[in-house]
Amino acid sequence: MKRNRLIIRSMILLVMVAAIGYTFYNHFSEERGIVDRDDEAPNFILEDINGNQIELEQLRGQGVYLNFWQTYCVWCREKMQYLRDHYEEYKEKGVEIVAVNVDEGRGSVERHQERFNINYGLYLDRGSLVTNAYGVTSLPTVFLIDENGVVIEKQVGGKTENQVLASLDKLVPSQ
Amino acid sequence: MEKVKCECGHVNPYGTYLCESCGKPLIEEDDSLVNMRYEGVARRSQTYKKTIVDKIWNFFSSVKVGIWIIVILLLASALGTIFPQEMYIPPGENPTIFYEQEYGTLGKLYYQLGFHNLYSSWWYMLLIAALGVSLVICSLDRVVPLHRALKTQRVTRHTKFLEKQRFFATSEEAIENAEEVMQKAEKALREKKYKIYNENGNLLAEKGRFSRWGPYVNHIGIIIFLIGAMLRFFPEMYIDEYIWVRDGQETVIKGTDGEYFLRNDQFIIELYDEEDERFREALERTGSPVVQTYQTSATLLRRVDNGAVGLGTELEEVKQHDIRVNDPLTFDGFSLYQVDYKLNELSEFTFTLEAVQDEVEEDLSEIEFTVNLYEPEMVYEFDNGFRIEIMQYFPNYRMNDGVPETINRIPDNPRIIFEVFTPEMDPETDTGEISLIGVQVNEPLNEQINGENQYRIRMIGVDMNNVTALTVRRDRTLPILAVGGAIFMIGLIQGSYWYHRRLWIQNRNGVLWVAGHANKNWHGLEKDFDYVASKSQIPVPVDQLDKDMSDETESRND
Repeated sequence: MKRNRLIIRSMILLVMVAAIGYTFYNHFSEERGIVDRDDEAPNFILEDINGNQIELEQLRGQGVYLNFWQTYCVWCREKMQYLRDHYEEYKEKGVEIVAVNVDEGRGSVERHQERFNINYGLYLDRGSLVTNAYGVTSLPTVFLIDENGVVIEKQVGGKTENQVLASLDKLVPSQ
Repeated sequence: MEKVKCECGHVNPYGTYLCESCGKPLIEEDDSLVNMRYEGVARRSQTYKKTIVDKIWNFFSSVKVGIWIIVILLLASALGTIFPQEMYIPPGENPTIFYEQEYGTLGKLYYQLGFHNLYSSWWYMLLIAALGVSLVICSLDRVVPLHRALKTQRVTRHTKFLEKQRFFATSEEAIENAEEVMQKAEKALREKKYKIYNENGNLLAEKGRFSRWGPYVNHIGIIIFLIGAMLRFFPEMYIDEYIWVRDGQETVIKGTDGEYFLRNDQFIIELYDEEDERFREALERTGSPVVQTYQTSATLLRRVDNGAVGLGTELEEVKQHDIRVNDPLTFDGFSLYQVDYKLNELSEFTFTLEAVQDEVEEDLSEIEFTVNLYEPEMVYEFDNGFRIEIMQYFPNYRMNDGVPETINRIPDNPRIIFEVFTPEMDPETDTGEISLIGVQVNEPLNEQINGENQYRIRMIGVDMNNVTALTVRRDRTLPILAVGGAIFMIGLIQGSYWYHRRLWIQNRNGVLWVAGHANKNWHGLEKDFDYVASKSQIPVPVDQLDKDMSDETESRND
């Protein structure tokens, strides 16, 4: 009798604690994005400011540093200058940098390229189609995509030069 | 814990006030009347204190604890209204500094304790959760013993139990036709729709027992309601987003994972006619124009999945709808409601070029160009050899530490830096005249010979656009909340409009003992007693509470 009561009480408490705990976990843990770690990166086709098209699938075999940015995002600017300084070096190692501008005019992006001497491709996502498909809500957001097209990490927010270099190192194809 | 054995032979759990079987008071109290709460059964929580599980259980089983949780919740909710919640502070303000700036130290404390976002703060959520736990445990701990006690109650009760009821009377001495009186009483009670139980010539009449379950049904309703509220923290169940769409443009609908888009075909707004006699007085009182209707003619679009997004992505039209207040566009569980609008957002500037002094020989009359403020062309070339380039464009301009920049891409305060090349210049090598142009701004930026530019870009036209604001809603918790609310009301009605009445009439060797109990509306019980007495000559019970009170007043007068 007494043991039964203890079991019943424990079970009721357990169910309630589990439900409340799960709600708290869901509410306070960082939300998993639409595209996140271990997901296959959705394929996209975009055009850069010079009219060159890129399709993500064509980059299989290379690591892809996919960076979403805007011209007036200060953190993006710093990151993009670090990327500029190391682009050539990592291109030889098999890492491609794809900087996707979120819904700004071609002109603004052109001026940005001239102002900061960006040497890698700046792709235009007018209408935010790709941005939305990747579930990007704040900038800068970076997806590290390995040579098999799988996301190995999602990064949000500004990064130091060393952190950017560490990310690029992760993308160097293994063979 | 020791069990208590009553003289009738029944073994009661520790903490029992009235014997579960015969009703004899087991714990003598000073009160002249017995305490009938929960039928005098032992509330389980008060008895065992052993394991940690029992301790937690006992804590939440206390009604006192429950009341304190409610009081703290009320206080917190009241304090949360002192300063605005985070969603109501002016847009663009940073809450980390806003509260301290605006309200001083109190504001800072308010922010640090999480009052600025009260309903999602962890401690408020914990309080609500504690309230739910308290409700479940309190109810379980009381409804189970109460149900058992009412189900197994005996007809023949101990004389002490009868004596100490609020309504009690006895015929003092044996009456001859006691059995006949009992039968008449039973008949009268049946007429009153009482349920009759007989045992050894004794009688229990009962009515309205189900109203005792009202509070517990009510609690089930609250618990279902709380579960519904809890589910709102899950995006699959509840989404509440906000989108702005310009006239003629399309934008992704937040919360749909980039699958659905909305095109604003046309936004219209109608104001009440100030000339109309019917409205004039009311409009003069408000002092500003009042919106009669605002409507977004919208087209819902869906992304066709053809492998890759981006260039070549097709959007297929799903449906069209005129969204008005309370007339949303609905699809796939989502509803888009009209909530706000912004009129006259800048969309295009038209410029012309003119000479500052009238001594240039070129013909400038044909130079006229339009700059789209969402997607400006960067170069404008003209037949007479002039070329104007945009060096920089800031949709929402501001100076930040001496460096011009844009706050965002909404053309609220557009500024453009133009460079003008005359036909003789080579854009690759020469530097043209540079000027910064915005609304009521036109500054030359490079020093010319006379300290002034030779040419001046003049704004001759402005085009504006309207923007509509819609909320994106998906609420799958509504049915749960409705069910919870309905059960809540059923419990409330059940417990409020009916009441539980019991009459005991016992024949002890010809002496009639009469007692009655009601959980409320004692007046109704009194009337039932009067009716039965009028039909059967049973002794009419007096309200012993009234008697006590008159005793007290008498003794005070002495």
